[in-house]
Amino acid sequence: MWINMGPQHPMTHGLWNLRVKIDGEIVRDIDPEMGYLHRGIEKISEDRHYNEIITLMDRTCYVAGIAWEHLYIQAAEKALHVVPPERTLYLRVLVEEMQRLASHIMWYAAFVQDLGLMSPFLYGMRDRDLLLDHFQSFTGGRLTYEYMRVGGVRNDLPPGTTDRIRKTMDWLMDRFAEYDRLCLGSQIFRTRCDDLGVLKAKDCVTYGVTGPMLRAAGVKRDLRKDRPYAAYDRLEFDIALADTADVTARYLVRMEEMRQSVRIIRQVVDWLDHHPGPVMAANVPRWLGAPYAPIGHEGYLLKRHYSKGVGLSAIEEPHGEATAYVVNEGGEHPYRVKFRSPVFVNLSAAKSYLVGYHVADIPPIMGSVDVCVGEVDR
Amino acid sequence: MAASAKPKEEESPNPVLWVARPMATAARQFVKSLVRPSTIVYPFERLEDPKFRDQVRVESGHPIGIGEVWDNYRGVHALNIATCISCNLCAFSCPDLCIEMVTVPGGDPKHPKKCPQIDYGKCSYCGFCSDACPEGCLTMTTRYELSVSRRPEMVFSPQKLHEVFERKLPMNPIRVERPENEDAIRLDAPLCIGCNACARDCPTNCITMVDTPKPTAKPGEKLPRRIWKEPVVNDSDCVRCGTCISVCPKECLFWGTHP
Repeated sequence: MWINMGPQHPMTHGLWNLRVKIDGEIVRDIDPEMGYLHRGIEKISEDRHYNEIITLMDRTCYVAGIAWEHLYIQAAEKALHVVPPERTLYLRVLVEEMQRLASHIMWYAAFVQDLGLMSPFLYGMRDRDLLLDHFQSFTGGRLTYEYMRVGGVRNDLPPGTTDRIRKTMDWLMDRFAEYDRLCLGSQIFRTRCDDLGVLKAKDCVTYGVTGPMLRAAGVKRDLRKDRPYAAYDRLEFDIALADTADVTARYLVRMEEMRQSVRIIRQVVDWLDHHPGPVMAANVPRWLGAPYAPIGHEGYLLKRHYSKGVGLSAIEEPHGEATAYVVNEGGEHPYRVKFRSPVFVNLSAAKSYLVGYHVADIPPIMGSVDVCVGEVDR
Repeated sequence: MAASAKPKEEESPNPVLWVARPMATAARQFVKSLVRPSTIVYPFERLEDPKFRDQVRVESGHPIGIGEVWDNYRGVHALNIATCISCNLCAFSCPDLCIEMVTVPGGDPKHPKKCPQIDYGKCSYCGFCSDACPEGCLTMTTRYELSVSRRPEMVFSPQKLHEVFERKLPMNPIRVERPENEDAIRLDAPLCIGCNACARDCPTNCITMVDTPKPTAKPGEKLPRRIWKEPVVNDSDCVRCGTCISVCPKECLFWGTHP
C-alpha cells in the first residue's frame, strides 16, 4: 500500500512529499517528491544586479544563509575578475564556520525532536541563539544576513567582538559534552539509532551523496581539505570520520565537525586580532550597482564591452558539497546562475537507506539526513 | 589525519542508569534555568530595556543587550529630510523595489525635492539602501515592532520616516566604505546632443555644460542638429548616483574605469 508522508508532516522539515510503499510495518519502496518550495531563484537571478542576488542566497537555505552567500560570491568574483583582500577571506571563514555551528546545532535540535526528546531540542535552540546574537552584532540580521559583497564583506568586526566569540566558543564546548551525555550516554538512544539507515560508502559514491553522510560512511572527503578555498589552506583542522554509516555515525560526525569548527574559529579570531586591513577590494566595477537602464534600452550596457567571464565555485556547505556557476556576458545582470544543492542529491538517494526498515524508523533516519528544503527546490 | 569520532563503548547493565544519567543532566539544566532564565518574557520585557542594556552574560559571552551590539540591528528606517539630496540611490539599490521617490515640500518647482517612501509590506530589511546613501541621511534603527491594522499603513511616507528619525533611536553605526578607486561618469562625445538633461537632473549640481567648438561643414556634408555644448563632470563632488546615465536620451554617458 502506498501512503504519503508529507507535504505537511513533522518528519519532512519543510515542504516535500515522501511516498512510502508499506507491507505491514516494513517499508518496501520509496518515492521522494520535491518541488513544493520552488521559487525560481536561478531565474530571478538573471534579472538582478550581482549584489542584489545576495538577498536571494539567504533565502536559499534558511539555516545556512552565509554559506550560500559565500558560495555565490566566490563564483561571482571569479566571473567579474575581482580579487578580495586577505582579511576578507578570514572573515568569510569565520562567518561560514559560525554558520556551520548554527546549522549543526539546529540539526541536533530537530533530530532529537524526531526521536521524541524535548529537552535537548530546547537546549539546542538556546545555544544556537548565542551564535545568532553574534551574527546580529556585526551583520545586523539574525537570519538573513546580507553580509557578503562582490569584492569583500559589508563591514569589519566591531571592537570587542573577537573576545566575546572566544567566550562563546568555550561555553559551547561544554554544551557539546552535555549533548553527548544526553544522547550517547543514554542506552535508549543507542538502541534506537545503531544499525539504522545504513548507506555504505559504495552507494554514497554511486548516488553522489556528500557531506556528513559520506564521511559517516568512512570516505575521507572534505572540500575544505581537498580543494581549499578562502583561507582554509592556512588553518589547521581534521576531517571528522566514522565508519558504521548509520544514524549514530552521522550524529558522531556532526558533533566532531562542530568541535573542529570551534578549533577553526579560535585560529581565525587570533589571526583577525593581529592583521587589520581593508575589507573591500579597491577596484570594484561601479556598474555593479548601476541604476536600471532606461525603459526600452536595457541592452545599452552590453554595447560598452565590459569584460566577460565565467565563475565556478564549490564549497563544503553544512549539508554537503554545493556548487555555483555564474556566467557574466558583460551586462549588468548575470547571464546565467546555476546551483548544485547537496540535500537534493542526499534526498534522491532515500530509497537506498530507507527500504527494509520499519515505518517508525523513517523520522530518525530522515532527521539524520539534515533536510533543508529551501535549497532543494531553490 | 582523521579525527577519531568513535564512541566510547560503555555497557551499563543497570537499566535504571540508562534513564537516570540523561535525566540528571536535564535536571541540572532545569535548576540553572530557575536561577538565571535563558529567555526574555517579551511583551513585558524588551531587549532595549535599560535592565538589559550593557548586560553581558559573562560565562558565555552572550551579548544579551549590550549597547553597540544591539544597535547594529537592521530595523525600521530613519530619514533626515533636511540632508536628503534626492539622488535616487536608495531606490536604485533596492532589490524589492519597495522604495518610491515622492515629492516633499522644500524644493523649487523646476527641481522638486524627492525623498524615499518605503512600503514595509515589500521591504526585506537588507540594508542596501542605507549602505548606498551617500549623505548618511537614510539609516536603519533598532525599531522592530511594525504591526498595523490596515495594509496602507505599511507604506511609510518621508514625513513618517522623519518622525522615526526625530525619536533618536540608536542608529546603525556601521558605515560601509566605498572602494578607493571608484568608477566615474564618462562621456561618449560624438553621440552627445548637448540637451542639458544630465546637468538639469544632477542632485549635486556637479555637471556643468561647456561650449564645444562648432566644426565647419565640408561641402556636401550635413552637420548634426544639436546644441554645441558638452557636460563636464566634477568627479570629487559626484556621488555616483547615475541619474545622468538614466536620463540621457542618447545613451552617451556610461560608467568608465578609473583613469
